[in-house]
Amino acid sequence: MTAEDTRATTRPAPTAASAAIPDPRPTPLARARDPLTVVALVAAALLVLPLFLDQFRLNLFAQYLCYAIVAIGIALAWGRGGMLTLGHGVYFGLGGYALAMHLTLARVAEDPMAQGGLPDFMVWSGLETLPLLWRPFANPAFALFAVVAVPGLVAALLGWSVFRQRVRGAYFAILNQALAAAFVILLVGQQHLTGGTNGLTDFPTFAGNDLYSPEAQWVVYVIVVVTTALVYLMFRHVAGSRYGSLLVAVRDGEDRVRFLGYNPTWVKTLAYALSAMAAGLAGALFVPVMGIISPEMLGVVPSITFVLAVAIGGRYSIAGAAVGAVVMNAAQTTFSESFAGGWIYLQGLLFVVVIVFAPRGLAGVVQSTTAALQRARRARATGGTPDSTHRTSDTPQGTDASGSPR
Amino acid sequence: MTHPLLSLSGVRVVFGEFTAIDGIDLTVDEGELRFLIGPNGAGKTTLVDVVTGRTRPTSGTVTFAGQPIHGRGEHRIVRAGIGRTFQTSVVFEELTVLENIDLAAHFRLGPLALLRRRRGVTPTVGGVLERTGLAPLAGAPAGTLSHGQRQWLEIAMLLAQGPRLLLLDEPVAGMSHTERERTGELLTEIAADHTVVVIEHDMEFLRRYARDVTVLHEGRVLTEGTVSQVQADPRVQEVYLGRSQRTATVGDERDTLVPAANNEEG
Repeated sequence: MTAEDTRATTRPAPTAASAAIPDPRPTPLARARDPLTVVALVAAALLVLPLFLDQFRLNLFAQYLCYAIVAIGIALAWGRGGMLTLGHGVYFGLGGYALAMHLTLARVAEDPMAQGGLPDFMVWSGLETLPLLWRPFANPAFALFAVVAVPGLVAALLGWSVFRQRVRGAYFAILNQALAAAFVILLVGQQHLTGGTNGLTDFPTFAGNDLYSPEAQWVVYVIVVVTTALVYLMFRHVAGSRYGSLLVAVRDGEDRVRFLGYNPTWVKTLAYALSAMAAGLAGALFVPVMGIISPEMLGVVPSITFVLAVAIGGRYSIAGAAVGAVVMNAAQTTFSESFAGGWIYLQGLLFVVVIVFAPRGLAGVVQSTTAALQRARRARATGGTPDSTHRTSDTPQGTDASGSPR
Repeated sequence: MTHPLLSLSGVRVVFGEFTAIDGIDLTVDEGELRFLIGPNGAGKTTLVDVVTGRTRPTSGTVTFAGQPIHGRGEHRIVRAGIGRTFQTSVVFEELTVLENIDLAAHFRLGPLALLRRRRGVTPTVGGVLERTGLAPLAGAPAGTLSHGQRQWLEIAMLLAQGPRLLLLDEPVAGMSHTERERTGELLTEIAADHTVVVIEHDMEFLRRYARDVTVLHEGRVLTEGTVSQVQADPRVQEVYLGRSQRTATVGDERDTLVPAANNEEG
């Protein structure tokens, strides 16, 4: 340790130390900046985008927003909590199927040709009465509740049992992946309950409204936009709370957190369950947007695609993850229209580039660029001397080009 | 106090073939400042691990404030009122100094209260920041601190927990001379109103700040007493000087003890 270090670490005289403690919380204006941006984006999505995009494109955008909601959840569990969730398709599917089951029953109820009030795939499978599992879903309120509650409950049970055994890292990721694979097998195998590989489709009405009308499609779009904004603000709040700091602490030193008196099991379980609930909500919104939910939309590959979008957008930033999901899916559509099949290679390449050069994703690149600009501006203001002494005080991890934290 | 605050009775810890602790009886009274010393491998850190729930004793009991605590989870033992620091300081580098201390201070909050936004600096956290001299660094990420500052942050986090018993595992290891002095002052201040157990290798530090000392050797308590009693004990000299004592003439033991011990650890 050099003499300079020693000087720097010596405690100042008590009189000096009694000065006000600098509170690093952002000013009210800075705190309000983010929500104001969100309001502006919502307004843009609702008022400006429809001027440029037709019904089909608008519907695609709503679809990307559904993926953005999943990404927001993954950013909390993975970016903040360090839980690599390679099986979020399961929760997306649970939410999606919960609403699709209700919409299917709503269709059948209005269809005089339906035999015994059963969806046709049940009739073909030889069922004569509605299975018990389906009955509560006739109630729209129950279905909407289940959209969030079922994924949350499944994730909480799984998380609690796994985190309690101190399973983490790659083992947890593999477990999630296996869960996604098993879930698809279950859905395909239980054809009489789930519609098998075809999934559930054809949802003409919700609560007595014609879902295929342009007005209804517009309402669905508005709901998706507003829900995305609300989910973002909620997760942003969670990440900024004491619990958010605790989650980062658990990610970086689970064993140390125990000696602070917290039980990491519930800390991780809560983040995992919250992210599963976001995925469930996204799956449910996806159903009226796409008009179908089937096993191929929630297996191993879609689960990995969710995580890829978050990695590219920036897993440490909730906004970055959401933007990443929209950009990646938009890019996929654009590319697939021009070069069918080329996308998957480009996506792979993009992933490698991000992992190697910018582990903090697009959000990290933006953060380090902003920090560099601020430093340059400050250097100009102070007479051209780069203030290396203050560099550590603002964004220590963001100062290197890649923004890599480790 | 009728009961000692902490009492270990017949604690044994066996890792496979290796016996780290071989039947230790130890009591610490409320308000004590106790130093635990002993050569490498004496079982000092293992002892702290047993008390804090990191290691389960193979046999024996640990009683804290009249309650048996051996076999409880780490976080439950913290909730019972025992806090510790680590030999190699472990702080949360991506969180600020303030956030680190704030988390340590609020483990009693429930999940819903933790989900609320943090508003300002609570008096406990502010007081600890002042006391440890970390107030000017409150907004700095812990990853940017120097080694000495990290050790103080650990002590600050420990104080913020408000434990009844503090266990410090080598608080001055790797510190510069000035930092040691500062840590010593801090330790004296803390010991004035806390029960503290310190594991320390540094003999000079021990002589300056210790009151009561327990010497461990090969997983057993070798002797207990004041600093001068312990230093005068021929068995302690034997343990610390070991090989070198056979060549050293018995002169002023107090002076030979210090450099020999320092060399061994250094």
